[in-house]
Amino acid sequence: MNAKHVELPEDLVLRVRDLGKEYKLYPSPRARFKALLTGAATHRSHWALRDVSFELRRGQCIGVIGDNGAGKSSLLKLLAGTLQPSCGTIERVGRVTAILELGAGFHPDFSGRDNLYFGGSLIGISPERMRELEPEIAAFAELGEAMERPVKTYSSGMTVRLAFALVTAVQPDVLIIDEALAVGDQHFQKKCIERIMAFRNSGCTILFCSHSPYHIRHLCDAALWLRGGQVAQFGDTEPVLAAYDLHTRERQEREQLALEGAVAPQMPGHEEEKAREATASPASPVAAVDSGTACILSVDVKDLAEPVGDQPGLLQSQDLVVTITARGRGNERPHIGFMIEQSKGVGITSLATHEDNAFPRQLPDGSWQTVLTFPELPLHSGDYVISAFLFDETGLAVYDEWFQFLHLRFIFPKPLPGLVRLPHHWS
Amino acid sequence: MYSLLGECRALWQARSLLWVMTRREVAARHAGTAAGVLWPYLQPLLTVAAYYLVFDVVFSMRLGDNAPTHAVGAFLVVGALPWMAFCDATSRGMNSLVEAGGILQKNPLPPVLFPLRAVLASSVIFGPLLVLVALAYLPRHGLNASMLALAPLLLGQLLLCALLAYALAILTAALRDVGQLVTFLLSVGIYLSPILFPLALFPERWRWVLWANPMTALVLGYQNVLLQGLWPQISVWVVLAAWLLVLAVLLNGLVRRSRDQLVDWL
Repeated sequence: MNAKHVELPEDLVLRVRDLGKEYKLYPSPRARFKALLTGAATHRSHWALRDVSFELRRGQCIGVIGDNGAGKSSLLKLLAGTLQPSCGTIERVGRVTAILELGAGFHPDFSGRDNLYFGGSLIGISPERMRELEPEIAAFAELGEAMERPVKTYSSGMTVRLAFALVTAVQPDVLIIDEALAVGDQHFQKKCIERIMAFRNSGCTILFCSHSPYHIRHLCDAALWLRGGQVAQFGDTEPVLAAYDLHTRERQEREQLALEGAVAPQMPGHEEEKAREATASPASPVAAVDSGTACILSVDVKDLAEPVGDQPGLLQSQDLVVTITARGRGNERPHIGFMIEQSKGVGITSLATHEDNAFPRQLPDGSWQTVLTFPELPLHSGDYVISAFLFDETGLAVYDEWFQFLHLRFIFPKPLPGLVRLPHHWS
Repeated sequence: MYSLLGECRALWQARSLLWVMTRREVAARHAGTAAGVLWPYLQPLLTVAAYYLVFDVVFSMRLGDNAPTHAVGAFLVVGALPWMAFCDATSRGMNSLVEAGGILQKNPLPPVLFPLRAVLASSVIFGPLLVLVALAYLPRHGLNASMLALAPLLLGQLLLCALLAYALAILTAALRDVGQLVTFLLSVGIYLSPILFPLALFPERWRWVLWANPMTALVLGYQNVLLQGLWPQISVWVVLAAWLLVLAVLLNGLVRRSRDQLVDWL
């Protein structure tokens, strides 16, 4: 274990210096075996991480972003101690807990309780300590009598609940999360998020890896952008996310161009097809009212003409009025979000009730509705696509999303080019 | 030997975890059975009992003059039980790292724990059985000083299995074929040792082949003590020490070369 437990100055909990991880790629396992026996270097080096240095303070929450293969997982594993660094040092204080993949290491033939004690000893919780923690863990995992049953009789949700309750039983000093928030049902997801937030509020440093800019924006106060195994940017969330966003868009454009160059003739039809698919799938929303899960029931745009052929429907009004109806979970008041983008997916604006201190109102049948109005929609002529989101009452857990589900065409009567009409005055 | 010392230190620091893992490994071998913890002990015990019944009670087979004893069954048991222990520890230890891949990739644990756990679990099962067999042979020569030699012999076997199992576990992680090859070697190895036939029966020209089997020295030692009531001959200690030294050097190199990438191979 290379991560040294040391005294760090002031409130630092983690210091990473010149960290590098080299994967030695051998042409075949036979070459690897030969290299192991003779020490001959026949491998190709792949540096998943190189010259990564940063420091984390107590109570910080860091979001790690980057393209696939940028080294995010390697970094988290190195920090968690499951991978050995090839160079550089990791200095850390106190307990480090990693939520990498839940439930690995449970023995199917043993009972939940037995696996709990064994799993505890793997992460450094002694049996005596576990006896104190057990009631709390069992309650959090909501297993009840099932604790006595072999784990092989558990559903996947139960296994994951037990594993999450186990690894978070003791508050760590550093918590490492690898996109594990999408576990279990909505109810449990919410509990997970609440527990993580409680850790954060009581001074735990969180390192969080996600593809969801939404979560990073809301949970993290700093972001670390990895590109090609190196730190591209590290700092306040917004500027880093903005830079990353730009990078992603440029990359997509490049890919788009490459694709268009390759299959130019078929391209337009293909694109249209994709758009139609996107429109078609959620257009017939789940009507079941009592399945218990929170979801968006309907999104209606006022004065929208039917789409004609391949063309999106035309908005026949200068106002955009969107009525979003959703089913919540129990008595909880959900929040609703809305996003409008250019038809190719370049964001224009996104809004959410919890950000505007607005609240959806409850209809007599128990569902929630909000009407979002853009008077004199300040856009120029063009094709746009809208998305709707349903959040829990804290605005952290995403219950449902209709992503880019409806394309619409808007005609601005004046013949001026542009995208958005900004607030302005002439003098 | 620096790498090997590091591994020993890691083992010592995690000794309580190692013991928990060993107990669990023993429990996992009989999980879901009604007889429970008896099974791991019953299987070798029944095999040994069968040797005794078939060769000594039913057929009363006799060995020639050069053999350390004349009863075939008694001769077989002394060699076969340590050999079973060796095979069990080596083959389980060899596969332990590959099997623990999932755990090692998710938990910051030293890999050395896993082969050691397998070897210790084997010795928890076979250790008492070997002592039991030693007690059964006690009436032959009474209680004499040579019985003390059993302690270093058993300890030597534990050390031999630990070194060999960890080395093979690393090699198997690098190339899965090693597992297949060693499984084959373990099944023919019993013929390349003085377990089924006394050493004297092997042609003089080919006797050196037997010493290539790491268990030969130990088996001869057990036969000296249990069948003849003698302190093991000097060659037993020399060859055993040579094997331990060679394996330690080999393992040290393997650990050094695989240290920072071992988990990636699993």
